[in-house]
Amino acid sequence: MSGRDGGRLPAIVRRVLEPFVDRSVAERVLISLAAILLSIGVGFAIVLVSGRIAQCSTAAWTMPVTGLGFCYDPIEVYVVLFNGALGYPFAVGEPGIFNAAWTPFNLSFGLTLSETTLLVFTGLSVAVAFRAGLFNIGTQGQLVVGALATALTVLAIAPLLPAGPIAGVVVVAVGTLAGAVGGGLWGAIPGALKAYADANEVITTIMLNFVAANVAYVLVLEVFRAEGSSVVATRYVPEYAQFRPWLFPNSSDFALLALLVAVGFIGGLYYAVEHTPFGYDLRTSGVQAAAAEYGGVNAKLTTVRAMTLSGALGGVGGAVWVLMSEGRWIESVPDLGFDGITVSILAGNNPLGVLPAAFLFGLLKGGALEIGFRTDVPTELVGVLRGLIILFVAMPEFFRMAGRYAGLGSDGPGGPGTSGTGGEDGESEASGDAAGSGSDAAAVGGGEADA
Amino acid sequence: MNPAVHLDGITKRFPGVVANDDVDLEIERGSVHALLGENGAGKTTLMNVLYGLYRPTEGTVVVDGEPRSFASPRDAIDAGIGMIHQHFMLVDPMTVWENVVLGNEPRTWGGLRVDEATAREAVVELSERYGFDVDPDARIADVSVGVQQRVEILKALYRGADVLIMDEPTAVLTPQEVEELYDVFEELTDQGKTIIFISHKLGEALSAADEITVLRDGVKVGTVASADVTREELAEMMVGREVLMEPATTPREPGERVLEVTDLHVEDDRGVEAVSGISFELREGEVLGIAGVDGNGQSQLAEAITGMREPASGSVDYFGEPMAGVSRREHIDRGMAFVPEDRHERGLVMSYDLVQNGILGSQHDPPFASGGRIDWNASTEHAESVIEAYDVRPPNPDADAEDFSGGNQQKFIVGREFERDPDLVVAAHPTRGVDIGSTEFLHDRLLELRAEGKAVLLVSSKLDEVQGLSDRLAVIHEGEFSGVVDPATVTEEEIGLLMAGETLDDETVSGAAIHDAVDDGLDGSGADGADGTGDPDDAGGSDRETATDEEVGA
Repeated sequence: MSGRDGGRLPAIVRRVLEPFVDRSVAERVLISLAAILLSIGVGFAIVLVSGRIAQCSTAAWTMPVTGLGFCYDPIEVYVVLFNGALGYPFAVGEPGIFNAAWTPFNLSFGLTLSETTLLVFTGLSVAVAFRAGLFNIGTQGQLVVGALATALTVLAIAPLLPAGPIAGVVVVAVGTLAGAVGGGLWGAIPGALKAYADANEVITTIMLNFVAANVAYVLVLEVFRAEGSSVVATRYVPEYAQFRPWLFPNSSDFALLALLVAVGFIGGLYYAVEHTPFGYDLRTSGVQAAAAEYGGVNAKLTTVRAMTLSGALGGVGGAVWVLMSEGRWIESVPDLGFDGITVSILAGNNPLGVLPAAFLFGLLKGGALEIGFRTDVPTELVGVLRGLIILFVAMPEFFRMAGRYAGLGSDGPGGPGTSGTGGEDGESEASGDAAGSGSDAAAVGGGEADA
Repeated sequence: MNPAVHLDGITKRFPGVVANDDVDLEIERGSVHALLGENGAGKTTLMNVLYGLYRPTEGTVVVDGEPRSFASPRDAIDAGIGMIHQHFMLVDPMTVWENVVLGNEPRTWGGLRVDEATAREAVVELSERYGFDVDPDARIADVSVGVQQRVEILKALYRGADVLIMDEPTAVLTPQEVEELYDVFEELTDQGKTIIFISHKLGEALSAADEITVLRDGVKVGTVASADVTREELAEMMVGREVLMEPATTPREPGERVLEVTDLHVEDDRGVEAVSGISFELREGEVLGIAGVDGNGQSQLAEAITGMREPASGSVDYFGEPMAGVSRREHIDRGMAFVPEDRHERGLVMSYDLVQNGILGSQHDPPFASGGRIDWNASTEHAESVIEAYDVRPPNPDADAEDFSGGNQQKFIVGREFERDPDLVVAAHPTRGVDIGSTEFLHDRLLELRAEGKAVLLVSSKLDEVQGLSDRLAVIHEGEFSGVVDPATVTEEEIGLLMAGETLDDETVSGAAIHDAVDDGLDGSGADGADGTGDPDDAGGSDRETATDEEVGA
């Protein structure tokens, strides 16, 4: 139930909080902690078992009492995963809790934030389509096309301008715009196919991913390949025409400006979705298409617009990938578009949730690199641990129900959602439903009790 | 002998709301008891207490002389209480008998296998004992709503229910199915079962129940025997004041032609023709009622007029302009308000709060949208004003639409559409599920719109409503007007005949020849209909005649 504190909060705060009020604070904290702890617990066991199976000369960890030796130290794995992703703000093997020499502007944290930045764009791309009720699996393809459009545009216009910071700003802006247009057009194709030919967007976007990857590959291979390059890649764009890694080390491939742009996109998209007529149309189409049609929303146009916007966001992700990470278009495009789907789901398809979700992914990516760097734990195993954390965090529903069953949070027959507390048998279904559809005002009145 | 159920001083408080206040209720074994009240009177809460969904704040539930404390519906079921919800909880692809035994299947092989033969036999035996005409092997998806309801009853009986609670059992039924349900009540009570049903319909309580308990604002107003009470007395008990059972319509001179529908053919979602050649016109300050059994093309007609559905052929002219190919958005912008039939699908976005729902259809228009952004303050004020004017309860614009009861949802939709300042209102079942007091208000408001010179197309399956509010009354049957009559003079029997597709002897009419019908209707206006409502008035009659002549010319 929304806004039970309705009158006391300013409208804007209420709207920001609204997606979260379904759960009590205690429940939410408990859920997040439980999710991470449980995934660590399971991961712990997996690391131990793999460490027992693997062969090594000296045990990294010896189990107390039993004296059994293990090749991998599960505590170290998780410490390195999170601590390392941030560049070791916490001291390792030294007295004191904090590492005195730590600054935020270190290589590991830069890598973490670099991944975060890119995933913000792809996460937003998937989220905006989701909100319109469309499942855009094609962010990857839109990113590939956007990235190529950016690289080619920047390479084309950079020589026309005198090198320097002003030209840099212009070229980066135009290049990003080119990425948005490229990705947007690529996204508009499945949008139009869905709207006017009733083609399922899941299938068309998946297919267009292959088309994008292969067309871009052939184009670069045959036409735009840098001379003397051993890989299929374009020439590098000039240094000044890239997002500069202010404060962070060059090798981290991270530019604070790009992250600020990403945050700006989050705010802009949140505003567009929640506070504009276009966003209203888009959301309404997503949650209840028949009501949207009744409210005068042009379903076909909204589908095309949403997919174009989604594609454009993926395209900007591609632009940032070129102008921040690689400096050129290169065939080995990371799976940012696919990770964006998970980021969006973690974020509940809410633009505001995309930042923490992308940051979690960034942390796991940065941490995984550190583990490979500092320990003998194989990368595949780190992949398993990452997957576990994501899986557990993405299952809040399960924990929410568990929390309810344990009697935490809102108690008693309050709103429709909570009235099923009593019975775990088949009847609990019935009870929740009955209270929800009950024809008495008390159904709502009770919900207000949760305040 | 103990009463089957005795609710002793039940009080149920939710913070801020007292849903039930010291309610005493005794229900005799083998009787049919109606729990009557307006939306929000506390009927469902009280029954949820009895069914173990809520624990009472104070008071005791006594079943068969024994005080009980139910922690969950499971306990209530064990005590012989069954509840049939308004929305059925059946598994569509499964058969009738599978649904009945679901959750309580007889087992063999040490509990590993469902004993299908025994289960089916038990269901057949049960349905025969109560004279239910139910095919145990039919799939739920294939049977009518009335049969589904009987399956729900069987389910409760199978679980050993002696007391059956039914929440608004007739809301989903056709008139014939309602009659059949009453027969089922009789059969059940003959065999010693007790029935409590929740209703806000007077007629239903009077004809089906032995005793009626009226609740108002959570307080019991009284229990009366249905034989000793009149409609008016019951209505007064429910509303707390005297109720005008019939709205007073005054004749008014119709103005400019707003809507002209010519030989309209519309297909439904399956591509089957639902509207087969309907023509009529509608003028400012006029209410055209469309009566008919649900599913005879009314929905498709209303949707075609309001731009929700493209007609297969024929034309809709609005203020003289053809509306073919005009978008739904444009229909709204040109001043068409539409109260849709399906409030959960179309009329409201269930997961939005009322502030957001209040601008549905106006999301691009000032004052709600300006400069590319939505003004949520203006939207909130709008929602609040609709809530206040139309008595939507609870008056909380920030609550989601799905958390309101059906009647309050409906009031909000009607309020939003009526306050759009429309030129044409197309209202499909505007008072469906709405309590008497609010229905009266909606009727008054509709007549105010008429007085302001709006044109109103009123689709309703409630005969007294269409008859009482309309200037002209068209009866629809299988996509055609089987007659257009003067609501002031026509009898319910005549409307009934037209609804069944028969033609009246002296009024042989068809959709293509409405003007004849109107003339004929006027000719017959001397003979006052037995149940005629509204004021038969010659002045009104002559206005209609003028309208008719012009239509002939057009």
